Amino acid sequence: MSAKGIKKLLLVGNPNVGKSVIFGHLTGKYATVSNYPGTTVELSIGNAAIKGEQYAVTDTPGVNSLLPMSEDEVVTRDILINEDFDSVLQVSDMKNLRRSLPITIQLAEMGVPFSMVLNMEDEANDAGIETDLSALAAKTGLDAVPTTATRRKGMGRLKEAAAAPRKSRLSVTYDKGIEDAAAMIEKMLPEARISRRSIALMILGGDRSLKGWLHAHLDDTAIDRLNAIVGETQAGYTQPLGYVINNERLKLVDSIVSACQTKAGGSSEGFSKTLGRVTMHPVWGVPILLGVLILMYEFVGVLGAGTMVDFMETVVFGELINPYAIKFFETALPVPILKDMFIGEYGIVTMALTYAIAIVFPITTTFFIAFGILEDSGYLPRLAIMLNKVFNLIGLNGKAVLPMVLGLGCSTMATLTTRILDTKKERIIVTLLLALGIPCSAQLGVIMGMLAGISAMGTVIWASVVVFVVLLVGYLSSKVIKGEPSDFVLELPPIRLPKLKNILMKTLGRIEWYVKEAVPLFILGTLLLFTADKLHLLVVIERAASPLIVGLLGLPSEATGAFLIGFLRRDYGAAGLFALQKQGMLDPVQVVVSLVVVTLFVPCIAQFFMTIKERGMGPAIAMVTFVLPFAILVGTVLNFGLRAMGVTLQ
Amino acid sequence: MKPENNNINCDINCAKITDEMVDEFMESIWLIEERGKGHKGGRAALCAMAVDEGAVNNPVMAESVLAQIATDGYVTLDGEAVEFTPKGRERARHIIRRKRLAEKLLAEVLSVDAREIRTTACRFEHILSPEVTNSVCSFLGHPPTCPHGKPIPQGDCCKKLSHYVKPLVMPMTDLDPGSRGRIVFIAPKDHSRMDRLSSLGIVPGTEVSLHQKKPAFVIRIGETELALDTEIAGEIYVKELR
Repeated sequence: MSAKGIKKLLLVGNPNVGKSVIFGHLTGKYATVSNYPGTTVELSIGNAAIKGEQYAVTDTPGVNSLLPMSEDEVVTRDILINEDFDSVLQVSDMKNLRRSLPITIQLAEMGVPFSMVLNMEDEANDAGIETDLSALAAKTGLDAVPTTATRRKGMGRLKEAAAAPRKSRLSVTYDKGIEDAAAMIEKMLPEARISRRSIALMILGGDRSLKGWLHAHLDDTAIDRLNAIVGETQAGYTQPLGYVINNERLKLVDSIVSACQTKAGGSSEGFSKTLGRVTMHPVWGVPILLGVLILMYEFVGVLGAGTMVDFMETVVFGELINPYAIKFFETALPVPILKDMFIGEYGIVTMALTYAIAIVFPITTTFFIAFGILEDSGYLPRLAIMLNKVFNLIGLNGKAVLPMVLGLGCSTMATLTTRILDTKKERIIVTLLLALGIPCSAQLGVIMGMLAGISAMGTVIWASVVVFVVLLVGYLSSKVIKGEPSDFVLELPPIRLPKLKNILMKTLGRIEWYVKEAVPLFILGTLLLFTADKLHLLVVIERAASPLIVGLLGLPSEATGAFLIGFLRRDYGAAGLFALQKQGMLDPVQVVVSLVVVTLFVPCIAQFFMTIKERGMGPAIAMVTFVLPFAILVGTVLNFGLRAMGVTLQ
Repeated sequence: MKPENNNINCDINCAKITDEMVDEFMESIWLIEERGKGHKGGRAALCAMAVDEGAVNNPVMAESVLAQIATDGYVTLDGEAVEFTPKGRERARHIIRRKRLAEKLLAEVLSVDAREIRTTACRFEHILSPEVTNSVCSFLGHPPTCPHGKPIPQGDCCKKLSHYVKPLVMPMTDLDPGSRGRIVFIAPKDHSRMDRLSSLGIVPGTEVSLHQKKPAFVIRIGETELALDTEIAGEIYVKELR
């Protein structure tokens, strides 16, 4: 037991089995829940009272094996190997026991006390799968608790089980060569949190992520000797040892499954299955994809960015808040400079809060609701299938859909989600594209609003240039950045009807995150502009940047301010351009050019910090150094191109 | 089987006519007939070919083998003309079938290089039993032609099946959407891929059903639905289940 009498409980299991939902029920805290494997990329920790005792509960990223294949899987394995915990709760999908039991076997081999939950009982029932729990208990030595976490069914028994973990009697006898090697390795290993045999099997399985742990506990000669044992053992097998070991485990798994589960004959092709099929059909999938895009545009672009923004801007701020705020500050703060700070041209209320709440808030809210529905319905992985070939062109595969689509909501969040990608190469490419060409929803909303004011050709030009640039840069970086493309192997969760409550919880969580991040930056940016304006620095900077802005991009020098705050937030920069357009200072060609530049422009501060955190300082700076001149270059080419062709877009 | 090298290098006086020599002759007669030049007047050409191919080491020996197979009732000799009897044609057909099936097996399944195929297939044609020949034929899906495009004579196994039958084991890319298969083996490009597939439950012995092949492969294993690249699907070999 750890300090202060608080016990530790780990939730472990395959991806998309409902760990985060159970975590939410146990702790009352919200961990992002979605119908997409690999949503949990960071650990969530919360407190729970279970059977009168205090527990610190940790929700871990889903794993298919405790022999890690990706960064998030390493996280889970490392916790098991390094951390002190009192109990492990293995969450599994009842209808898919075959996938869960390999983890059960590995936990049993580790010798850790754990209990088992068979979640999604409702879906197992719907699929006609019957589970003989006593037969399962006889085989594993564990009483598995059936639950339907989304309906809170079985949570009482789940808590009882979590408080009384046991060691499982499951064990596999491997081929003699492997057993002998494991025994030899075991003797060389130090005492650890988990059984030495399980670590020996990981080493034999070729687990490279264990290197750090080994170097911390063994000297170099011992490690050389270990490698020699692994090499010699491997020489006796034509297949990789990890595979041979896994095969043995799966044999045991299959024997358990056939003894404990029966499936009622003739699985019915339900509506959700048919729908799931159609959404990834090579022909029908395309109109569905377009339909989804149109619906999203109607909801986010028209309702959110149009109707709601108008209402917030003209009615809520224009007629209600701003007049009162102006009156209030005029009486409360008779000092002109302070008054200007709040309600002037670059005022905290009139500029920062108006932008943040009137423009950004409705757009991001509608986007996150739409994204939440997409996520929980299980459509995104199907979208990944439809777009796999396109992503192949830029050195990625369909898996990159999740961070890229999320990037349309908030590129900062999306940068964090790149962890679900398998290789470093893919993570770098996606991070770069997020920094370069994926506009976030707030920015996109403003852009859409501006494009609506000019000829439809303007939208076509803007979209084609951005898509072309993203594909080009993606293609080139896939050639330049070393590394193999990773395999496209993606699990498809069933199509489910999204639960309203979960969508709302998730949207609230994301908006909270967004507001906390965005509003302070908006205020900071406004203050900087305000200061620069009062010190007449803005004029100086505008003059200095004029060769770039006026000469190359053909924009009025006032646009400099918009790009300057674009350093803080890209949507804020776009909003500045929006204001210029409203004042009639931009002709249609200037609108398109400035929008292309602001779309490709440097990531916002928050995304930049997230990029540093995820990719490191060097790559982050390299990306910005590339993106900034590149955005201006593309804008310049477009400006001169359009002017030379005599395009007016009137 | 007797080692044939001894016979090939054997002096004319101690020459003993082996089954292999007979087989080679039958094969040559079949080939000349197949070329369509008309085998009448082909006796000299046949003997020359047998020497060239190394079946016998001189024309005199060739003549004596030819005489022997005529005595055994496989061919009729009429001056220059050499013609199969029904019995001889049947034997030749089987020889050709074994040889070309062996070539197909070596080329398509084992990816052996062309020169190696030639020498190995020549040995296979003498040793495959009828049962093994039919198994190979079924395994390969009753192929109509050898790797060089020449027809493979049909066997009993092919005739029993009026329609084209799929090979027993094939890459998943050859499976039709909607069908099921059992994984027989996985031949991945790299080991980590094999580990990943196995952690998702894709191992030999597992039953899969194929839902679609485009834009990506979608398969179902138990209650797990997975999307895969075509390249990976091509490395998973399955036996179709009906």
